[in-house]
Amino acid sequence: MSKQLVLFVAMLLVLAGLHVRADTEESALGYHFAPVTPLIAAPDFTLEDMDGEHYVLHDYRGKVVLVNFWATWCPPCRKEMPALEALYRKLGGDSFTVLAVNQWEDPDHVFAYTGELNVFPTFPILFDPESKISAEYGVKGLPTSFLIDTKGRLAYRAVGGRAFDHPEVERLIRALLAEP
Amino acid sequence: MLVNSALPARFFACMWLLHSASGMSAIKEHVDPETGLSSWKSGADALEFELLQVLPDYVRAVYTARGLPKAVVDKVSGYCVFGTIIHNRTDRPLSYRVADWRYITPDGVPHRIRTKSEWVSEWRDMDIAFRWSMLPDDQTFEVGDWGQGFTTIALEPGSRFTLEYSWTQDGKIETRTIKGVRCAPAEAPEV
Repeated sequence: MSKQLVLFVAMLLVLAGLHVRADTEESALGYHFAPVTPLIAAPDFTLEDMDGEHYVLHDYRGKVVLVNFWATWCPPCRKEMPALEALYRKLGGDSFTVLAVNQWEDPDHVFAYTGELNVFPTFPILFDPESKISAEYGVKGLPTSFLIDTKGRLAYRAVGGRAFDHPEVERLIRALLAEP
Repeated sequence: MLVNSALPARFFACMWLLHSASGMSAIKEHVDPETGLSSWKSGADALEFELLQVLPDYVRAVYTARGLPKAVVDKVSGYCVFGTIIHNRTDRPLSYRVADWRYITPDGVPHRIRTKSEWVSEWRDMDIAFRWSMLPDDQTFEVGDWGQGFTTIALEPGSRFTLEYSWTQDGKIETRTIKGVRCAPAEAPEV
């Protein structure tokens, strides 16, 4: 009996060593953000929203900023949008904001798209019509998101859709805000 | 304690089986009952890989909606296109390079897959900046990262081939094979 137990424990250890998670549901968006090392300054940008208002990244110095690169045709971008809005509604304000940077689409098209969503996004949607800013951030696929710390540095990156309303994402943001 | 029993042999046999299982990563084909289109997905593996047939008409619609010229739309939709979804299912970074992947036609000849950079370079010559639909050439996925995009194979609709894809993790290259992959038919299957 004890030998069987040893064998069972050994098998568990081997399984753990494989580092392959059993959860392979494609529908489940994860919540992990990977630290960007070393910390580097986030490329600055000035972009317009649907109304032609200008947004300058360095104006947000002192806040934590979640920059989300996205497009309407991208299914995971659509899927993560309600969670992004939930995060913005919960934490958005004096110390945190979301800037959603659309890629290569025109404002009329995006405006029509936002009307189709179950949750209307209230965070700023900006336009990067020639994908120049996403190129400066080294974005290869959509969606890709960055957390920028209060000093204007790229702190975390997430490639692919995320459940932004997961408590772990909120914890990361609060930890960035608590940094001296 | 283990020296004088059969346990070591059984233990290592189990270890071998588990590692073999992780290396084989059984690929499952699924037919969507609503569309009649097939997809292939790896089982539990460090890099989870899914390949989905895409109809030429859908490809045309995607690129027409992006405002790309008819010549571009016709050329891309003339390829055998798959939606490709890749997840890092481990707790360590891994990287892939489409240039390392091959599709093998029934005559046994391996072929390169046309990369996103090659498409973008051609489009740039036509003053088109669009670059988002194709699977990126190469990426490093950290924990929890994943991505998707079109993979283009220079074959006719309905063609059959074997796909070899690979990735690198901890300096080691892992390769997997999917046999019996089929390009989407020219027209939507009747369901």
